[in-house]
Amino acid sequence: MAAIKSKNKRLDRANTPNPLQSLTAAALLLPGVMLGVAQAADEDEFTFQYGRYEESHRNLGDVKSQFDPISVDSLQAGSKISLTDRVKFAFNYIQDTWSGATPISTSPIAHPASSERQGNRALKINNTIVGASPYVQTALPVYFDKQFNPVRIINDTGTDADGNPVVEYSKVNELAHTMALASPETRKEGNFKLGYEWDEAAVDVGGGISIEKDYESRFGNIGGRLDFNQKLTSLTGGISYTNSDTSARFDHDVLSVPGVYGTYIDTSHYTNDIEKTSDGYGNLMTGNRQDWAANLGLTQILYKDALVKFGAGYTRSTGYMANPYKAVTVFFIDTDPNVFDAENADYFGYVNQPYTGQIQPFLEQRPNVRDQWNFSTGYVQYINPLDAALHVDYRFFHDDWGIDAHTFEADWVQPLGTGWTVTPRLRYYTQDAADFYTPYLISKQALRSSKLDAEGNPQFDDDNELIKAPYDASKLPAHFSSDHRLSGYGALSGGLVLTKQFAKGLTLEAGFEYYNHKGSFKLGSGGEGDYADFSYYTANAALKVNLESVGRAMSGGGHDHHAMHHNHGAPLPAGVMFGHVMTTPGDIMVGYRYMYSRQDGRMLHENELAADQDIVSNGCNLEPGLTCRTSPAFMNMHMHMLDIMYAPTSWLNLMVMPQFMDMDMNMRALSGVNPVPSSTTDDHLHGGHETGGVGDTGLYAMFKLFQDEGHDVNMGLGVTAPTGSVDIKLRRMHKVGNATDNGFIHYGMQLGSGTWDFKPSVTYTGKVSDWSWGAQVSGTKRLEDRNQSGFAFGDQLQSTAWGSYSVFNWLSASVRGIYTVQGAVKGEFTALPGNCAVNHSLNTTEACADVNPKGGSMDNPKNYGGRYWDVGFGLNATIPSGSLAGNTFSVEWLQPVEDDVNGYQLERNGTLNATWSYGF
Amino acid sequence: MKLLLIILPLAVSFTGCAVAPWERGNLAKPQMALDPHPLQTELSGHSHGSREAAGAGGSTSGGGCGCY
Repeated sequence: MAAIKSKNKRLDRANTPNPLQSLTAAALLLPGVMLGVAQAADEDEFTFQYGRYEESHRNLGDVKSQFDPISVDSLQAGSKISLTDRVKFAFNYIQDTWSGATPISTSPIAHPASSERQGNRALKINNTIVGASPYVQTALPVYFDKQFNPVRIINDTGTDADGNPVVEYSKVNELAHTMALASPETRKEGNFKLGYEWDEAAVDVGGGISIEKDYESRFGNIGGRLDFNQKLTSLTGGISYTNSDTSARFDHDVLSVPGVYGTYIDTSHYTNDIEKTSDGYGNLMTGNRQDWAANLGLTQILYKDALVKFGAGYTRSTGYMANPYKAVTVFFIDTDPNVFDAENADYFGYVNQPYTGQIQPFLEQRPNVRDQWNFSTGYVQYINPLDAALHVDYRFFHDDWGIDAHTFEADWVQPLGTGWTVTPRLRYYTQDAADFYTPYLISKQALRSSKLDAEGNPQFDDDNELIKAPYDASKLPAHFSSDHRLSGYGALSGGLVLTKQFAKGLTLEAGFEYYNHKGSFKLGSGGEGDYADFSYYTANAALKVNLESVGRAMSGGGHDHHAMHHNHGAPLPAGVMFGHVMTTPGDIMVGYRYMYSRQDGRMLHENELAADQDIVSNGCNLEPGLTCRTSPAFMNMHMHMLDIMYAPTSWLNLMVMPQFMDMDMNMRALSGVNPVPSSTTDDHLHGGHETGGVGDTGLYAMFKLFQDEGHDVNMGLGVTAPTGSVDIKLRRMHKVGNATDNGFIHYGMQLGSGTWDFKPSVTYTGKVSDWSWGAQVSGTKRLEDRNQSGFAFGDQLQSTAWGSYSVFNWLSASVRGIYTVQGAVKGEFTALPGNCAVNHSLNTTEACADVNPKGGSMDNPKNYGGRYWDVGFGLNATIPSGSLAGNTFSVEWLQPVEDDVNGYQLERNGTLNATWSYGF
Repeated sequence: MKLLLIILPLAVSFTGCAVAPWERGNLAKPQMALDPHPLQTELSGHSHGSREAAGAGGSTSGGGCGCY
């Protein structure tokens, strides 16, 4: 294989595209390229993908959820490189941030929305219904007929011929989800794969870690491929192991007191798995899960235009597999006519007395073992007249939870010429419900009943109150879940992928998929009702740079040009942007920038340490009389930027720079505040906040102003478009019986500026032998006074100067000084009317004109901006030769030297800049 | 496993219809790759996996939850 490959390279290098030779070479390469698990590591490439997922609103009957449905922003960056001809290495970084409303439980709509309906109770602000609030618990019972169907009471004032009271009711068929809001949360995953290839075999090992605030997963895998039968047949196999920990932080509402009336969600089944959080503000649900999986695959070339594949897999999962945020509504019905208990038997004495169902939601309970089997087959057919390929796939899934699922997929890959390919895709999925799936449960016992003594008489406590006994947990089923993912349904989805391959190994891809989940789409009967139907779409854009093809090109004639291009300028510290103009028309550069900055520890007032009492009194005085209750404990910001630059002429470069942000922070209670901030006050002390997603998008033009022997002056003019959200809100706190509203999350946690911003810069760079230096002045001018949320960040001016020395021809080190001035936030968040806590207590709320939080120092616009001095230490490496020639990596650490902040702010710890760029 | 027992002899029976290297031009085309759009597959696979009961069972790579 190695010999064949190098022959192929020679063909490329010779730059004599003899079609026959190329075809033969490609064909000789084929089996390794096309078949087997190692296929993924075959071409050296860099990939970057952004994806957006948006779900439809759920049908909640006569109310509408006030929350936006779930949406997800996904980011993926990865690379595959050949360490040697036979050793391949691939790594990926994946990041998802999601927020929005998701179902927490299901219940019959037995009461009109405006009353104490279980499920989504109408939410009123100033007597106007503004939506439905998530409310899984209610005081009102639901009534059931003798067949245990839920009923709605129509009239209870009638009598029969004998004058006995009669209640008139009708069966309720409608169900509805209760939608709860998931505050923004980010998952980050890193994974790698290392492979070794022989001529007719390959092995690889891989592993990775995925981290969320409430879920951490570590995994490893090993796989192999064996080609035989003149590479017409390939056998693949692999095993993997995954170990995952749940540590879900429960809302303060979710407390476990079995059988006690008013318990919001009963968690008593998990008492041993729930512990107090270290900050004492909440409860942590912990669990561990392990997955072992094995699979075998076979690919067979049938003839010159078709191949077929088969696969089989087995997965065994053990441990905690439930979702800690899903509850099941249980109706407790006391069917014993001999026990009179007002709580459990309304309409007592009516001739047709319905059963009274007392409502208690429980955390869902799933089995702790799951065995899963998969069988799949696929067929790929080349369609000669159209130069297209048809892919047809089928997969059968079976598990011991009672779920059988079938997946049918068809793709038509149609090349259109000039590098374009369009692929329509169609998919149908259908599954049975799990054995323990139920929209809601009925338990034929009282939620709590009068405790009777030996003679059958009720017992009373010292205060002459009836002593109540809780339900008998052993009468509940061992497993139950209302998660729609375990219900019976079908899903039909379709989409399109559009790919354009440019010269020089650059490929752009865009895709769209619409997905429709319906109970009635289930194969056979028995699908879930239409209340659970929903749809979503995903849209994505990807960029792929084939490093190998460029590398090959460079090892021939292109290399000199390339080397010259990259070494003509001085290396720039990683934190400096807009310092380099490409001078060869037609050149393209793709880069990736990552920035991480952290604030932690002490609070500053201007350039001195601030005492808590000072912050309390003076940090939040946005309005007279306001005092601070909390201040930030730490804040992390991560920024990922894709950097695409093109040189239409020798003096002008155009640049597009999409940005992706994710941030997390926590707060601490300031001392000497009354009432003391806690989980039952409106201070959001419940484990921190996260936000993330698309940031602002930069569009720049760069001009070469001056160039002389060793000296360059460039000017950059650009704008950032306000593509980042500035309206991210905190989660509503749905304490039982009350519902405080929460306004915008503070300014620094929003993802963009919300305004169009002008970004000019002027850069000078100089170079003599191994020494280089430079200076830059750059600014940010907000072009609008206010964004859609009512504020604008302050303008910014930065000046910087650096010196750099080339230690080797591929490595240089830099030192840099930076001075930054930024103004405070102008304006403030638009007032949002709603329900506010009275005296900060979540137990009492009242209508108010503005629910935006004002008790944290970071909620005050005056506490933004300042004057900052930093020193940067950087390294810059450019790979001079080999298949990865032309790649530049640089890192820089910015160490704060002095902060002089506006108002009261957290001290900065530093900033890390890391960049990769590749010109071709 | 049972399926494989059926498949393997089936595969061996295909060995008669050999495809010479110079006849493999069409099979080498990108549209004939087992997965012509791996990035797309990964993203939609993640969406399907977070919404379907059978989603997670298909791969041996492992991975996170992302249980939104």
